Amino acid sequence: MALSGIQIYKLLPQTNCKDCGFPTCLAFAMKLAAKQVELSACPHVKDEAKAQLAEASEPPVRLITLTANGHEVKAGNEVVLFRHEKTFYNKPGFFLRVRDDQTADDIKAAVSAADSYMVNYVGRELMIDGFAVEAVKGDPAAFSAAIEAVRQVSHRPLILISRDPNVMAAGLRNVDGEHPLMYGADASNWQAMGDLAKQHGAALTVIAESLDGLADLATKLKEYGVPDLVLDPAARKLGTSLALNTQIRRLALRKNFRPLGYPVIAFPCDAEEAYEESMLAAHAIAKYAGFVVLDRFAPETAYPLLVLRENIYTDPQKPIQVQPGIYEINNPTPDSPVLVTTNFSITYFSVANEVESSGLPAWLLVADAEGMSVLTAWAAGKFDAERIAKSVKAFNVADKVNKKRIVIPGHVAVLSGEMEEELPDWEIRVGPREAVDLPAFMKQSL
Amino acid sequence: MPVEIPKDSWEGTVRTVTLGATSAEGGTRSRTITVGGQKTLPFMNFEQTAPNRPVVAVEIKERRPTDWSPLLLDVWGDAANDPAAWAKQAEAVGADLLVLALTLTDADGAPTTPQAAVAATKAVLGASALPLIVFGPGQAEADNELLLAVAEATKGERLALGICEDKNYRTIVAAALANDHCVTARTPMDVNLAKQLNILIHDMGLPLDRILMDPTTGALGYGIEYGYSVMERLRLAALQGDAMTQLPMLVTPGFEAWKTKESKVGQDVPEAWGDWAERAINWETLTAVALVESGADIVVLRHPESVRRIHKAIDELTISPEMA
Amino acid sequence: MADHTVTVGTQPVQVPTGSLLVEAAHRAGVDIQQPCGGQGRCGRCAVLVTEGTVRRRSTLRLSADDIAAGYALACQSVVEGDVSITVLPQEKIERRLKTDLTAAEVKVPAGYDPQAVQTVRRVALTLAPPNMDDQRDDWSRLLTALRAEGIEAARASLAQLRQLGRTLREGDWQVTAVLDTEAWDCPDCPARLIDLKPDHVAADAPLWGVAVDIGTTTVTLWLVNLLTGEVRAQVAEYNRQIERGEDVISRIIYATKNSRNGDHGQLRDLVLETINGLLETACKRVLAQPTDVMKATISGNSTMMHLLLDIPAESIRLSPFVTAVNDVPTLTGREVGLNIHPDATVDCLPGVASYVGADITAGVLSSGLEDVEAVTLFIDIGTNGETVLGNNEWLITCACSAGPAFEGSGVINGMRATSGAIEEVWINSDTYEPTYRVIFSDKPVGICGSGLIALMAEMLLTGVIDKGGNINLTLPTPRVRTGEHGPEYVVAWGSETAHGRDIAITRVDIDNLIRAKAAIYAGFTVLAERMGIPLETAEQVLVGGSFGKYINVEKAVEIGLLPDMPWEHFHFLGNTSVRGAYLGLLDKQARAQIRAIASRMTYIELSADNTFYEAFTSALFLPHTDLSRFPSVQPAVTT
Repeated sequence: MALSGIQIYKLLPQTNCKDCGFPTCLAFAMKLAAKQVELSACPHVKDEAKAQLAEASEPPVRLITLTANGHEVKAGNEVVLFRHEKTFYNKPGFFLRVRDDQTADDIKAAVSAADSYMVNYVGRELMIDGFAVEAVKGDPAAFSAAIEAVRQVSHRPLILISRDPNVMAAGLRNVDGEHPLMYGADASNWQAMGDLAKQHGAALTVIAESLDGLADLATKLKEYGVPDLVLDPAARKLGTSLALNTQIRRLALRKNFRPLGYPVIAFPCDAEEAYEESMLAAHAIAKYAGFVVLDRFAPETAYPLLVLRENIYTDPQKPIQVQPGIYEINNPTPDSPVLVTTNFSITYFSVANEVESSGLPAWLLVADAEGMSVLTAWAAGKFDAERIAKSVKAFNVADKVNKKRIVIPGHVAVLSGEMEEELPDWEIRVGPREAVDLPAFMKQSL
Repeated sequence: MPVEIPKDSWEGTVRTVTLGATSAEGGTRSRTITVGGQKTLPFMNFEQTAPNRPVVAVEIKERRPTDWSPLLLDVWGDAANDPAAWAKQAEAVGADLLVLALTLTDADGAPTTPQAAVAATKAVLGASALPLIVFGPGQAEADNELLLAVAEATKGERLALGICEDKNYRTIVAAALANDHCVTARTPMDVNLAKQLNILIHDMGLPLDRILMDPTTGALGYGIEYGYSVMERLRLAALQGDAMTQLPMLVTPGFEAWKTKESKVGQDVPEAWGDWAERAINWETLTAVALVESGADIVVLRHPESVRRIHKAIDELTISPEMA
Repeated sequence: MADHTVTVGTQPVQVPTGSLLVEAAHRAGVDIQQPCGGQGRCGRCAVLVTEGTVRRRSTLRLSADDIAAGYALACQSVVEGDVSITVLPQEKIERRLKTDLTAAEVKVPAGYDPQAVQTVRRVALTLAPPNMDDQRDDWSRLLTALRAEGIEAARASLAQLRQLGRTLREGDWQVTAVLDTEAWDCPDCPARLIDLKPDHVAADAPLWGVAVDIGTTTVTLWLVNLLTGEVRAQVAEYNRQIERGEDVISRIIYATKNSRNGDHGQLRDLVLETINGLLETACKRVLAQPTDVMKATISGNSTMMHLLLDIPAESIRLSPFVTAVNDVPTLTGREVGLNIHPDATVDCLPGVASYVGADITAGVLSSGLEDVEAVTLFIDIGTNGETVLGNNEWLITCACSAGPAFEGSGVINGMRATSGAIEEVWINSDTYEPTYRVIFSDKPVGICGSGLIALMAEMLLTGVIDKGGNINLTLPTPRVRTGEHGPEYVVAWGSETAHGRDIAITRVDIDNLIRAKAAIYAGFTVLAERMGIPLETAEQVLVGGSFGKYINVEKAVEIGLLPDMPWEHFHFLGNTSVRGAYLGLLDKQARAQIRAIASRMTYIELSADNTFYEAFTSALFLPHTDLSRFPSVQPAVTT
């Protein structure tokens, strides 16, 4: 269980010696509680307290890292059930599934299309994380060949799918030096799979139809010496998957129930239809999956899923920023007005929504204010005349309009003088203080 | 190893809101729609099955919209020229209820008149027996004028009238009070604002079981995470016993998704965006799925295929528990 | 229905069962004032039941002692038998009302011993005149005399040395010296000569010092006799810097811009004008000269301190928000530009961080917060809304920009709590007519902070405004109207006011006040959250601020400015900053304690914390979005 600042403070020396770099022990304790600093920064903490603090900081959901050729996919280390409570940390890895009954050319074609896929979303480059290779033939050589085919076109981490230890062993030999995920261990093969996992340093999926079964197997495997486990509660529909994933996360977080303190893998790929697969994947992103295996790769589906993953895994504690730039609202023309605001997303959305619902066309210039709201940014010197002028120039606003007139938020009316100096050929107008008054202002005054 | 299933028990219950009135109840609807009533977080069927499932509303307009994606206009075809035909068509593709979203102006650019709004509403009520929600154009003065007329002309039908906002709710609430309608209360993606507006509306004397809250959402890629978390938080608060959040939630993923460039535009977009039509439907559907899982009771959609898919998702989410 | 006899004073009347005492009194020809419209809210209709009993529907305004003594609210008490009542004179009632927390009078710290704790000493010296056998220099001669007084070593400035010979001879070797014997930043330094005058002054003649609090909005100065510790004059005035911006951020930006244009120190001049003006006023009251003041101890937020000293303050507002200096060395009147004695000691108290300054460290000292075991909340209701939570073990603090509304600034008819200010308001819930109380005057000029709090609470309870602060323009009273600044409520018609203009509160004012109270409330909820303790853990709430003599806690709770706790948990301390400066001025140990407090306070930067934003929006409602935080207000505002 995570300790609060005051609980940690009681374990610290309380001398305010400042050796940790913070002004008081309490300040340090709060940084520790927020996991923004390591306990080792305090040279004076007692061993006993150290032990208590270390135990409290052990993650309730174990971090599992798959690696291959410099690529890395992480899952686990989650501490909340709802993203607003803190944040979700490790975005679920997307894996495209291929089978060993496909021809090597088919495999390569599918894999290379997905491997090279990259889509830009608000300046971020989104892509899928790896591939799952499934042994359907039960033939070690075929499995090995399929993996070989994948490796010819992709270096990303792999999930190897077979319940047959012999087949799995063959596959693992292809990925020596990597840290793949094996799928998986069930009640009948767990020991053999466990041996392989230990031997190759691979993570191992535990498969069972019930939580009892999962907990049972996970416990056995852990005792057997396989620390890195992933759970497949074997639900393939939205409703059952939601229930089981929720139960697993609750047990791990609230009860600190170690046997289920591992990431979960989801198989939307098992859906009958493509649209069901995309909905199941969306669900898996929101509801606690650590790895998501897909069958059908299509940009029109991958793109929204990758975006959803970005959105759900956005840190709600951090103000999200929108990309600075000039935004078109209601199809503006060169005669439409230019409004300026900051790139704090709540600020941006409230301004954009008001203007949009007014039906009036406008250019909305979003200046880089480091993600702060208008007043905060102004107070901190991140939204001043110089910065606004820089944005006007950087985004070539002058080329888009006939009339060089810019409306600044009413809260920073004080900037108008400096704005005139910075943008000598522009007319500076002071708009309303609140976004909600924008439509009326635009109608009456622009 | 027997694992004890962790079940939450909450002291609060989401209120039920019933839309539409049958002839026995003073209206003309063939059936009513009731939403809310949950005692658990969304679809925690292993704790308790919810009495009502989320429903899908289809948004129609009183005249052919000029700013909708061609994908939508194509799929609705000529039905979009006439609210009655559109309503029928929407019912046919599986709408549980209808949203008539009034336009600010008529085809000639003149302000929509109360008479026109009433006529369109009556046409929709005549063509389809589904319960109806009527949204004003979203500007205070026009909303008040049009909704007041609509409310009076449809007394007893138990419509939901929208959109009440913190700066403009009194007239709409008064119209709902006087004519036995419900209201939708929209606030911009903030738990506190949502609650505040509910309190203000309730303080005017409108019972809580006649208020739907619309916490607003962004579309996928455009702030959905705010709407998503605000809805989760509102539902948690409701279950924890906070009376002023115990209202069913309506959200408009259709409106939000179809105004994004991803849905609206088919040409000159990155290749990585893929096929336009499927991408657009995905945009609407995935936005809606996420919101249904975070607690939406009514999702307002625009594309018939999305309606089909979301029905399927709701079916799967509401199946009775295999593992109680 | 049975009739009963109610004797009002000496006048018996017959009333039916179930009548209210006010009705009975009316029959007897006595109209009891009911400013709140008979809602049992204001407590002004309290009467004394001398014989018999009544059924008290509400005792909201009465303590257990009151009830035992026979008090009953005439508007809430039902006649069910024969009774006799006494109607008390109005002033007596007002004095009885308990929820107006009055700031404690300034008491000289018990056992104040200037010899032991005061660093400034005045000594009457008689020097041996020089002669041909004793040709020691004048300065050595003075040092010898000082040693006889226990002052082992001393130093003087060049200017003082230039004057030395003349002064000694003018007084015929009898002089009075004032020295600062111990500077906190140089405890082993020789005593510093402040003043040397010919002749002896009477031993009991006052030795003057001043304690100054430079608030963003209000500057307060206490003139203190350092020999006795008595405060002889208390004066306050708006900080003249207000004309250059209402909040610290605006001031910093203004100062930075100005110095970039080569025009240094404009804000420094403005605050000096303010302080020197106050100094003049205070000194006149005791027939002293400003130059008689030998020591000034100054408190104020970090920005104010920087601007006073003309130290660039820009870094305070820019990330990572650091001050140039928290611990200012000892200075002199001349260096700072105060019109006190040019060589007087000027001691600027230490701050903690950019937005938690000396005003708060001094405030914590004067509140006694750091001595108690009980978790205590200390709120300074001022422009910067600083809050401290803690006890003798830990102290955590934050500042949230509340704005100057509660100091009466930034509100159209706002004013300081001085003569002519409306300080208390009741509104009749049937007629929406207000009743108000004005400080030292019949005719109001404006509304001060406590009046604004009362007004907001009354408007809320009577439905003049809704919980969002919107004025209900449909009420049947000419007092709600749309004025020049939008919707407003008229508190006083022009015919009643000192200036002949209506005094109204506007929607914009209400928004400002709601924002201010929300910022303050959010500040302490965030502190409690950070510590992981419920706010109710705080066993006492110490309230500081420039409210004049009192704040009505009940009404402050009703609007959600203060947390909903039993009234006895609140202690109103008035201006804690100047009080802390006063303690530091008198006592070097208190001064050392302020420094210790500064070093152990943990400062939370709210701008890096979006839980504050969350707490703030939920507090932007009356009393709060989460009404369950205000159980005592709930019944009154539930429709």
